[in-house]
Amino acid sequence: MSTPKAARRLRYPVSRYDQRSAMLFLVPMMAVLAVVAVFPVLYSFWTSLFDLKLTRPHRVPFVGLDNYAKVFADPLFWESAARTASFTVMSVAAIMVVATLTALLLNEEFRGRRVLSAVLLVPWAIPYVANGLMWKWIYDSGYGALNGLLYQLDFIDKYMVWLGDADKTLALIANAFVWKEVPLATILLLVTMKSIPADLYSAAKVDGANVWKRFLHITLPSLRPGFALVIIYETMMAVRHFDMFFILTEGGPAEASHVMAWQVYVETFRKLSFGTGSALAYVMAILTFVLAFSVIRTVGKKL
Amino acid sequence: MNAKIGRRIGLALASLVFVLYILAPVAWMVSSSFQNEAEITSKPPHWIPHQPTLENFAAIFQADKEVTYETRRQGDTATGGYIPSTAKNLLPAMWNSTIVAVMVVILNLLVSIPAAYALAKIRFVGRSSSIYLMLTTRVIPDIALVVPFFLFIRKLGLMDSLSSLVITYLAITVPFSIFILVSYFEGLPDELDKAARVDGCSRLQTLLHVFLPLALPSLVAVVLFTFLTSWNEFLLALMFTQTPASQTMPIVVASFTSDFTISFSFINAAGVLAIIPPVILALMFERYIVSGLTAGAVKG
Repeated sequence: MSTPKAARRLRYPVSRYDQRSAMLFLVPMMAVLAVVAVFPVLYSFWTSLFDLKLTRPHRVPFVGLDNYAKVFADPLFWESAARTASFTVMSVAAIMVVATLTALLLNEEFRGRRVLSAVLLVPWAIPYVANGLMWKWIYDSGYGALNGLLYQLDFIDKYMVWLGDADKTLALIANAFVWKEVPLATILLLVTMKSIPADLYSAAKVDGANVWKRFLHITLPSLRPGFALVIIYETMMAVRHFDMFFILTEGGPAEASHVMAWQVYVETFRKLSFGTGSALAYVMAILTFVLAFSVIRTVGKKL
Repeated sequence: MNAKIGRRIGLALASLVFVLYILAPVAWMVSSSFQNEAEITSKPPHWIPHQPTLENFAAIFQADKEVTYETRRQGDTATGGYIPSTAKNLLPAMWNSTIVAVMVVILNLLVSIPAAYALAKIRFVGRSSSIYLMLTTRVIPDIALVVPFFLFIRKLGLMDSLSSLVITYLAITVPFSIFILVSYFEGLPDELDKAARVDGCSRLQTLLHVFLPLALPSLVAVVLFTFLTSWNEFLLALMFTQTPASQTMPIVVASFTSDFTISFSFINAAGVLAIIPPVILALMFERYIVSGLTAGAVKG
């Protein structure tokens, strides 16, 4: 997330006409952001200071920071935070590997490459809900394709439980998430790959470096900005992801896929406790901010 | 010569793996949607339907044909798995999704085009703080917005209406649109701006007559992203819609998946209909999407 050119500070005088027209042009955006972003964020904090339960709408006592204390005292919060972390790490790592491989393939010139890059967009375009139902059916323990395939290939001798197995749930949801996110990551990496100067490769060839060495010493290091971008973007997507947890498992089995986004949903819309729900959402938003900026700093520097 | 053949075989194999990875899950969904109850519950699965049936799609498209547990049972005595009577809600929901998406696209363009032009081409006090405000709003997770949105929408009396969705979808689409447009406008030469101003164009005329026509590719990208984001959005729609009058496609499809009595062949048929519009749009406008995604993500 680099700062756009426009954010650089101005050092010369500004014409009054320009100032006025810029303000007019920005009014609609400011209004929209105020109503749908700034106000909700402030209002959310305000709500989090009250014990607001929709089951008891007429008595809304002010409780200060009690909701936050409640959130942090709940062991489920820490468990779901840990689950969110492991889901995120798994997903982002897998996205990086698969996207690098697909980007390497699509960076080659060959007949049919155009078709492949069109095919690549299919998972990106599919709605998360449809993606969720597709994988739910694939993972189905009764008649699903995963069981059928493994059975026909003789990897298993009887149908297995997949999503219902607490040890496998998170990884299986991550797999569905990865499938959907690979196209975007690939596109971002491809752009970076295209910017690697071709003479680097020809020079390395002259020096006798083989394909593997060229990949290791030229491609990988040059991909750093692309990797940084993918890690930042996909980390943010994975941490907040909700849709497929809803479709595939509803946080189950037991609490095996109870991640933070799911907990916000349960707290507010199943338990109807808006006070603690807001506090939880606030903690999550701040965590996302901190995470985004720390990832930007560390990854941005190292890569 | 050998190396060349090796390369071609390697590329062919890699392409095959790639196409299988991407398309096999989708193909299985499509195949399942044409299977009857006996086929869909066969072990091992029928990868290709032996007796393809259109009954799942018929239930969705023929609203007058009442599907009940009994009629489905008559048609298919093997298992009694059934098509829900809510099947006829899918098309109206897709229509709702389309209305919402089109409204969001229009409002989004009206808001983001002038803002992006001002941020990219006009020098004014407060430009950098406006940019930082935009950056920040892009990082807020949507799940953190649902509680205030819910209370806000309820207070306005907009629960269970399409307008609640239009308002809130602006929150999740406007920042991204502005970023795509800003990065595109910045790429256009400043001299164009100056020349138009010297010729006596006002700022608004410069934007409308000089920059908008040139920005067409990025506008296409913005329209597509906004449309697809709105069409696919689930979380907020889950909060704000309660009846078929306002339910959008993802909500109706999700309601099928959470009902264990509904046949998976029917659920897959609903899934196929849900993915057709976005996939067609994506394939038609592939070029714009790739450039838009790059601009939006690199800048943001």
